[in-house]
Amino acid sequence: MPARFPRTVPARLAVAAAAVALTASACGGTAAESRPAAAATATPSAGPSGSAIRLDRPLPKPELTLTDDRGRSFDLVERTAGKPVLMYFGYTHCPDVCPTTMADIANAVKELPEAEQRKLQVIFVTTDPARDTPKRLHAWLAAFDSRFIGLSGDFAAIQKAARGLGIAVEKPVKTAGGDYEVTHGAQVLAFSPSDDKVHLIYTSGTTSRQYAADLPKIIGGTA
Amino acid sequence: MRRPAAALAALVLAAGTVAACGSDGAPDGPHLAVSGAYVKEPPMPDMAAGYFTIANTGGAADTLTGVTSDIAGHATVHTTKPNGAMAEAGPLAVPAGGRLVLQTGGYHVMLMELKRKPKTGETVTFTLRFATSSPITVQAPVRPASYRPER
Repeated sequence: MPARFPRTVPARLAVAAAAVALTASACGGTAAESRPAAAATATPSAGPSGSAIRLDRPLPKPELTLTDDRGRSFDLVERTAGKPVLMYFGYTHCPDVCPTTMADIANAVKELPEAEQRKLQVIFVTTDPARDTPKRLHAWLAAFDSRFIGLSGDFAAIQKAARGLGIAVEKPVKTAGGDYEVTHGAQVLAFSPSDDKVHLIYTSGTTSRQYAADLPKIIGGTA
Repeated sequence: MRRPAAALAALVLAAGTVAACGSDGAPDGPHLAVSGAYVKEPPMPDMAAGYFTIANTGGAADTLTGVTSDIAGHATVHTTKPNGAMAEAGPLAVPAGGRLVLQTGGYHVMLMELKRKPKTGETVTFTLRFATSSPITVQAPVRPASYRPER
């Protein structure tokens, strides 16, 4: 069967597809572990290390206008044109993965020369706009880096933009117990300043060291 | 007179427990040890996440039924689901000869109604309650948000 694939399909695409499949199955493993019975028998692996997935077909930046963490209108395409961008979809009432991801990025950014730091735009798009007001986003992001940009606004618009980037987020629901169930993306998207498209996707667990190694290339548009 | 009666009742209960174990044929019950406890310094003073590993070197499984902390009015074990949603986890098994690991991206103690914002370098107390074993209290250092335990 592989012989019947058009020869124009780059091998790298197959590798990327395999990587995505691996990620998906890794997530499946997590689902199994979340059941107590499975947890009993599984010795969860050491904190899974993340990895960068290179896209053979870079994803375009979505049309998205939201409100930034200072309360001003923010047109994503217009404001980030020609700039290197790291984007993450998360929410602030998330004590585990979201702050870890932002802290890892912040630590990597701190290692860059000041001029490079100023070029990079780190954008946190909330998946919980009802609770993540611009004010709250501003306070939350300030704990990592006051230059990080927080975006809030219409959930449907956020969901549509996320979907276009391959990230599924669901509308927050309040459970019977009074808890909120909110989703966040597991990936950080890196947009190149050369064509404003996503070339690299970092999976959950990517360390600040990994980000630090890649950021100069992302900022330079050569990643 | 009341006290001896209560003590006697406790003794009878204890004997009952021992008898139950004996009838299972288990040489001993669960034997738990908690290690690697820590809390991540949160960006905001309203919630934080805590982690630890429970090892069971005993001959019987146990179940983590609840966690409390000196800094939180409310503490529950949550899990991060593949879609990034968090859900409260039910009682979690600590298998005989196995471990229950709480770590980023999986199970974590969600600390809410914080009495103060935990800061790196401080210490927080967790008390873990089990179906069989006596409660275990551990001191958990507060670590930076990007902290990754060595394994």
